[in-house]
Amino acid sequence: MPSASFQRCRRCVMDTSDPEIVFDSDGVCNHCHFHDQIRSRYILPAGEREKALEQRIRRVKAEGRGKKYDCIIGLSGGVDSSYIALKVKELGLRPLAVHMDGGWNSELAVSNIENIVDRLGIDLFTNVVEWDEMRDLQLSFFRSGVPNCDIPQDHAIIAVLLKAANAFGVRTIVRGLNIATESVLPQAWGYSAIDLRHIKAIHKKYGQVKLKTFPTCSILELAYYYAFKKITYYDILNNLEYDKDKAKELITAELGWRDYGGKHHESLFTKFFQSYYLVKKFGFDKRLAHYSSLVLAGSMTRDQALVALEKPPYDDDRMHLELNFVANKMEIEVVELERIIASPPRRHTEFPSYKSLLFSDWATRIRKFLK
Amino acid sequence: MKPFRIIPFLLLENRRLVKTIHYRNPRYIGDPINAVRIFNEKEVDELALLDINAATAGINYEHIRKIVSEAFMPIAYGGGVQRLEDIRTLFQIGIEKVVIGTAAVESPELVSQASARFGSQSIVVSVDVKTDLWGNRRVFYANARRKLKEDAVAFAQRMVALGAGEIILNDVDREGSMKGMDLPLIRSMSQALAVPLVASGGAGSLGDLLDAWQSGGAHAVSAGSLFVYKGPLRAVLINYPQDSAVQAALSKRA
Ligand SMILES: [Zn+2]
Repeated sequence: MPSASFQRCRRCVMDTSDPEIVFDSDGVCNHCHFHDQIRSRYILPAGEREKALEQRIRRVKAEGRGKKYDCIIGLSGGVDSSYIALKVKELGLRPLAVHMDGGWNSELAVSNIENIVDRLGIDLFTNVVEWDEMRDLQLSFFRSGVPNCDIPQDHAIIAVLLKAANAFGVRTIVRGLNIATESVLPQAWGYSAIDLRHIKAIHKKYGQVKLKTFPTCSILELAYYYAFKKITYYDILNNLEYDKDKAKELITAELGWRDYGGKHHESLFTKFFQSYYLVKKFGFDKRLAHYSSLVLAGSMTRDQALVALEKPPYDDDRMHLELNFVANKMEIEVVELERIIASPPRRHTEFPSYKSLLFSDWATRIRKFLK
Repeated sequence: MKPFRIIPFLLLENRRLVKTIHYRNPRYIGDPINAVRIFNEKEVDELALLDINAATAGINYEHIRKIVSEAFMPIAYGGGVQRLEDIRTLFQIGIEKVVIGTAAVESPELVSQASARFGSQSIVVSVDVKTDLWGNRRVFYANARRKLKEDAVAFAQRMVALGAGEIILNDVDREGSMKGMDLPLIRSMSQALAVPLVASGGAGSLGDLLDAWQSGGAHAVSAGSLFVYKGPLRAVLINYPQDSAVQAALSKRA
């Protein structure tokens, strides 16, 4: 709702629903400035980009010599990962596709994955998270009131990819992070999924089921994978021409891919969480960030974005069904889910994290002592 | 429509979906409710559920009710069925067919009573065949731990005479192996029975299912691993052949 203090960036479409947004004297927001900074760092000019891609691919192949696979790709069945699967095969890599099944897969997701691995001849490895544990952890996040309730799934994906890379002796994880479609991501809307301390703290307070098999990755494990096993990420989309609509056309034609009608909606949870929960409870409309990224990347005009934003973030009739679906799936009453949505929002900083550990009392004391 | 019934066979253990090999080492493969939803979308004609824990823990009616309420297709249930009362309750919560296993061996009168009471079309007897220590294929029961002296075909015939409307032949030796089905065994049984035979155990491809139907004479074929695993690493990925794929495979054979 435009209020007295409502302001929208004049270059992208981010607005004051991001509580931390700052505008310069021209009315351009901090996200735009941040985008410009990282874009120049990650997006190379034509010619150099192809060279960088070629170099990296050569290195990945060299590191994978003598092994069954030379890289790991995450495969969710969504646009980014499907496109990456197609591209790495075209580039002559031998990927192992890894899928984290968090219990929310739609039929579309599994059939997309099936088509991709069949048509491209890629081996698939899955880790199915015990539903009782995933459910309990996701409920803990709901009950805690923090915005980023996708942390349990996101953390599990990170952990599963790293564990698979380690188990199969692969050093490169090809990832879908990219400047073209996701350079804008307000800090206030979320929190890093890597922070196991944060996850444990929230689960300890609100969870009921012991996490026995849930895939996790602590700071120490991360250090082991990165520093000792030399596992690295390759954000390949930054080195490719990446236009989402063209990518969709291509994977539809080549892989029999079918559309979900929303970003990251291959998981029914993410769909509910992004297009309903965040909007209702926090007033965060993820489409703002998504369209802003596209506008800044030049694959959408600002006017197109504004027109698209006039459509409501969710369909009221359908959302009624989805609310029921999610409550039923999570084994709680619909009224309880509604109560969770209506309860006061909390910030991630209200809960322990690695970040808070750095500034905790004893850390300060140790730092003082060391001085 | 498919010319024969293709039935995904799902194993339950404490509300979790699992997959075994030779009825052993259950591996977790997901939440049954989500699996059923995916099978709905894939327009699966029928499902078979077997609770491998029910014999000791009892039948979890509440959970089965939930699964049934999510399913668009008829469901056959087996596991822990011991009394007429169990069968009645299962029908009440929406189960279409009840599979009797151990109880059919230990108290065969249950089969005749159930059939008389609820109609033979809804009473299925499961015949678990396994190779014994002497290398003979025998009927086993009680989670494939106890052996029956009677020949498998003779046992199945006796069950049909008691009123079983359908026999499901479970090949324990091949269960979970994906190495193909025992066609001679399927054939000998399908030829000897006047009721539909569901062949189960060992299917690793659509071709195996077609074999069990075409050369084995089974009316229906059932598979677990085939519909939940993908590829050499046995990745968990629910799948089910579309009618068109079945027709295409058939016309290739003709
Ligand atoms: Zn901006």
